[in-house]
Amino acid sequence: MLTRTRRIVQGLFLALFLFLFIQTESKGLDELGYPVKLFLDFDPLIFLTTLLASRAVEGLFWLSLIIVGLTVLLGRFFCGWVCPLGTLNNIAGSLRKKKRSKPPGAGWFRLKYYILAFVLASSVFGAQLAGVVDPISLTIRSFSLAVYPALSYAATSFFDGIYRLNLPGVTPASEILYDVLKKTVLPFQQPWFLQGVFIGSLFLAVLGLNLVQRRFWCRFLCPLGALLGLLSRHAVLRREVSEECDSCGACAGVCQADALPADREKWRASECLVCNICDDVCPKNAVSFGFLKGRPTGGLDLGRRNVVSAFLSGAFAVPLLRISPLARPRMSDAKLIRPPGALEEPKFLQTCVRCGECMKVCITGGLQPTLLEAGLEGLWTPVLVPRIGFCEFRCTLCGQVCPTGAIKRLPLEEKQQVRLGHAAIDKGRCLPFAHATPCIVCEETCPTPKKAIWIEEVTVRDREGNPIRLQQPHVDLTKCIGCGACEKHCPVADQPAIYVTSSGESRSEENQLLLQAPTGSPYK
Amino acid sequence: MNRRKFLKMTAAASAGLVLPMGLPGLGRIVEAAQGPDLVVAKGASTPQIVRSALDAMGGMKRFVSKGDVVVLKPNIGWDRTPAYAATTNPEVVGTLAKLCYESGAKKVKVMDNPVSDARRCYKQSGIADAAAAAGAEMIFMDNRKYREVQLNGTALKTWPLYNDIFEADKVINIPIAKTHSLTTLTLAMKNWMGVMGGVRFRVHQRIDESLVDLIRVIKPTLTVLDAVRILTANGPTGGDLDDVKRLDTVVVGTDQVAIDSFGATLFGMKGSDLNTVKLAAKAGLGVMDLAKLNIKRISV
Repeated sequence: MLTRTRRIVQGLFLALFLFLFIQTESKGLDELGYPVKLFLDFDPLIFLTTLLASRAVEGLFWLSLIIVGLTVLLGRFFCGWVCPLGTLNNIAGSLRKKKRSKPPGAGWFRLKYYILAFVLASSVFGAQLAGVVDPISLTIRSFSLAVYPALSYAATSFFDGIYRLNLPGVTPASEILYDVLKKTVLPFQQPWFLQGVFIGSLFLAVLGLNLVQRRFWCRFLCPLGALLGLLSRHAVLRREVSEECDSCGACAGVCQADALPADREKWRASECLVCNICDDVCPKNAVSFGFLKGRPTGGLDLGRRNVVSAFLSGAFAVPLLRISPLARPRMSDAKLIRPPGALEEPKFLQTCVRCGECMKVCITGGLQPTLLEAGLEGLWTPVLVPRIGFCEFRCTLCGQVCPTGAIKRLPLEEKQQVRLGHAAIDKGRCLPFAHATPCIVCEETCPTPKKAIWIEEVTVRDREGNPIRLQQPHVDLTKCIGCGACEKHCPVADQPAIYVTSSGESRSEENQLLLQAPTGSPYK
Repeated sequence: MNRRKFLKMTAAASAGLVLPMGLPGLGRIVEAAQGPDLVVAKGASTPQIVRSALDAMGGMKRFVSKGDVVVLKPNIGWDRTPAYAATTNPEVVGTLAKLCYESGAKKVKVMDNPVSDARRCYKQSGIADAAAAAGAEMIFMDNRKYREVQLNGTALKTWPLYNDIFEADKVINIPIAKTHSLTTLTLAMKNWMGVMGGVRFRVHQRIDESLVDLIRVIKPTLTVLDAVRILTANGPTGGDLDDVKRLDTVVVGTDQVAIDSFGATLFGMKGSDLNTVKLAAKAGLGVMDLAKLNIKRISV
């Protein structure tokens, strides 16, 4: 029974995926110790679209060529045996009633090829949209920004509840369990993400589609599946049906994809996930998979007009996305503060695959997904929201986990010189300026070796005219790196009295305040 | 002598004679009264100056008893390595943890509520490794375990403080000596901001009084000021080795106000230059005048 073997293998890959996912978290050192982006490194769709869109790829991406090679030999084994989203779809699909009179979607399998054509066309013209729909990227992003935070919230609420009830016997036991979970699978601290509910709902929708048709995503939508399907058309590992077959149709209903196993002539190699179920269920044992047996059957007829339409749509999407004012030269959004080492904005958008790894690993939780801040083209790219979390001065993790180099991996000394923007003081809200009240928390928490926030001793007067000596903060733009520690810690509630904007960011030539950019930039 | 006075005296005397704990306890108080108020130990070996300082104070056994749960509260507020003197020296913390165990402590816990990420602070400061080597447990502070404490101070009436320091049998304050723009220096008193929950940066509005209010209720068994390296500018975060001065010194005592008053001298100042020290001494929480203290200086 190959089905059991396959399920074990699927389980192992899913476990590896989840393990690497959980390890995408700092334990205090500046390295993680595990190749946490491994699944992305092996992803040929990410490889191809990044290559096309940005004309540059990170070294490890060549690993994905292994998947390409194996797919040419074995077919879509990745979908059937490896892909974590495929496995999750299998699990979700097991909730669907086995028999349905009329499974929907005859012919819908072509849709994913059109999605692929769209995504490839837009990447040829320089837009990286694949990350939105790539299954690995989608799964990591959904887990990072929605599923895992929600599970963490649920677990914490549960254990907090029992802690507050303080039940004899029960609470001590639950605390021990909570402690074990915190040390193993739960995050160090509760992650909070903008759009968690949106991204989470989309992911639940993908899983929910399994109730309409099992592996709905894999059959009809997945562009990576489509790419692997194209590569599998002439796979060496082929399905053969012997003369024993009496066309009983037992295999027709069990196929995980739309490979038409019951039709000896039309069997679609590009759709077969090599799951071997048709082999297992055949009462005559007429089905077998083997190397170089038989000949490829069932050519992939996608309809030339449809493919061309999809390709043209993808191509036209690029200018359509770029007519946003944000894409105009010399336009910058004040709040679009990119992670340290992020490429210049147009290049960044061509390279970022929205996998969410940087947001998952960000030690303060300050990296958040954009919605429209960077235009629709920049959907779900990372932006630093200092009020949520600042950029830790001695941390380089986001650059380490970025699979495409959209955030450059910088040595610590270089990273510490990267300016994300500049801080500015709102004198109408700042306690020493507006309210003659001592504070200077911003100066205290400023992490640069020579503090970018300096203080001036002044004498001000209160309402009664009494003189008060106090310290007022100022920002030294030649020192400020825009990390946002001041904004994060500013005790002025809600709207902070010191805040970072993107002007002065190292990665941009144009978004500068000073006549001469401060020295020490790694980009100059 | 009236009848009431006579009865009181008899009761006290018999308590002293009858209770087995009475005499050694009394002896300890006498010994303490005779010992130095502060010990300032200087020497190249950090573990050795800590050990010698404690010996000069009458030994760690004077402070930690068999079966005690001890909380060590270093300053681990920032993500810095030891050379930058932004966090307490890990060898000081490790040696104190060992001394506690040698004195029979059941458990030694090390904790702080840092400003930077706690995981990084604990690891990068070297304190996590030093604590582990000494068998002490690093505690990440748990949001649920702050409780509203009555301070009845002049600036703070109540504040959420970390429960462990009140539940522990013994508490040792282990600050590092650094500059700080608002309080001039950060020493022992300022180190208690690391057990505050809530929006603690709000206390900066009246920080000197707030720190005095904290030590109205936080009474450590012992305070060990780490001046192995001190940070002389750009504190409390530091980051430039040029701002670090090596003094190879620790200052040990039980009076945190006296420690802070002495700490000021390390920076060429006087205790009276620090508002916190002045206010605390005025409130009767400790001694500012170093001339009134028995200070023992040792070189190792």
